[in-house]
Amino acid sequence: MKLKRFFWVFLIVISLSAFALDSQGADKFPKPVGAINDFAGVIPAKYKQPMESVAREVLQKTGAAVVVVTLKDIEGNDPAGYANRLYEAWGIGGKESDKGVLIFLALKERRVRIEVGYGLEGVLTDGMSGEILDKYVVPLLGKGDYGGGLFNALMAVSSIAAKDAGVSLTAVPGTQRKQKEPPKMNLFSLILFFIILSLLLGTRAGRRMLPFLILMLLMGGRGGGAGSFGGFGGGFGGFGGGMSGGGGAGRGF
Amino acid sequence: MSKGKRNLLIAGVVIVVLLFSFYSFFKGTYNSFVTLDESVKASWAQVENQLQRRYDLIPNLIETVKGYAAHERKLFVDVTNARSRVGGAASVPDKIKANNALSGALSRLLVVVERYPDLKANQNFLRLQDELAGTENRIAVERRRYNEAVKTYNIKIRTFPANILAGIYGFSKSTFFEVPEAAKAAPEVKF
Repeated sequence: MKLKRFFWVFLIVISLSAFALDSQGADKFPKPVGAINDFAGVIPAKYKQPMESVAREVLQKTGAAVVVVTLKDIEGNDPAGYANRLYEAWGIGGKESDKGVLIFLALKERRVRIEVGYGLEGVLTDGMSGEILDKYVVPLLGKGDYGGGLFNALMAVSSIAAKDAGVSLTAVPGTQRKQKEPPKMNLFSLILFFIILSLLLGTRAGRRMLPFLILMLLMGGRGGGAGSFGGFGGGFGGFGGGMSGGGGAGRGF
Repeated sequence: MSKGKRNLLIAGVVIVVLLFSFYSFFKGTYNSFVTLDESVKASWAQVENQLQRRYDLIPNLIETVKGYAAHERKLFVDVTNARSRVGGAASVPDKIKANNALSGALSRLLVVVERYPDLKANQNFLRLQDELAGTENRIAVERRRYNEAVKTYNIKIRTFPANILAGIYGFSKSTFFEVPEAAKAAPEVKF
């Protein structure tokens, strides 16, 4: 008897956790590895480390998260829309401040974009983003110097953010770590859950109903909340749930 | 405890549980209508912010373009008319329609602009074009978020059993911001 009961509890826990993990959305984004996410493998090592340091310093001093992402291929997606969804999925910048910038490069599509979070729209206007790309980035990208182009983009954006915050950058590596809180369960629903659970397991009728209930749950279930990934980013703390409204500029190269 | 008393107790517990579950269904459903309705309104407000931003950019754009391409009068008139219709639209569906027309007129203007190399070399125009492209992109982003909010809300109020409550309290379907295929080729900056 005891074993059977244990089996049912086990089944319930499994089915509930399956709901919690059920993710939403059609895009499959990679997870960030830090400020510089060179998934296309185009940034040489001599640029990568300084870039990471600069991004960390900017985050520490100004609270603005500047993130670089390169992708081999975005499978025919519109680069602007893709960059915006990636920005939102990663939550670049703080949740309320939305101070973040995504420098995005799609290699196969040959597109580069500066995507600006809500919180920096006033500081880094679309016209300025376009000018940065035209002057410092696209000419280098056109020559195949991806490292140099993205380095310039990062430096230009960083210096604008630093100037606005009234600080100067020295590129000292920082060590900031921020973790997301695990999602909390409502206390009330937790109590209710245990009452129902004890009713179901504690009475004969309840035990008889259980298999049907579980079947119903499994069949009728659509996923609830999306599982949020906690504590990623390789120690770069710039992913706090920020959003972008699609500001910025994009270019082909 | 006598048998009658025990039955009474069980019946009482059952009634309380039933009432409570009815109450929590009612409360949960009604409150989620309100929450979703508000999120539709909030995301529409974001869409309107961006539409307004575009509305404000247009006079500036036309002024700049006029200096270089004065004889494209018809296009200026088209854009100006479409813009004033946007200004006059009151309801959400009207606003969506007027803005789609404006998108069309604007993209026609920006296609023609490609023929004027002097204009395309003008720094002021370049910035303006970036602002406009950025605004179009912002509209697209907020439109997507608005449509997602509408979808969630519409599904909620139309699925059983919530649809009964929605009917009683007069929560009705919201309008999607749909873009006609022709207007999807929004102005894009090319160099």
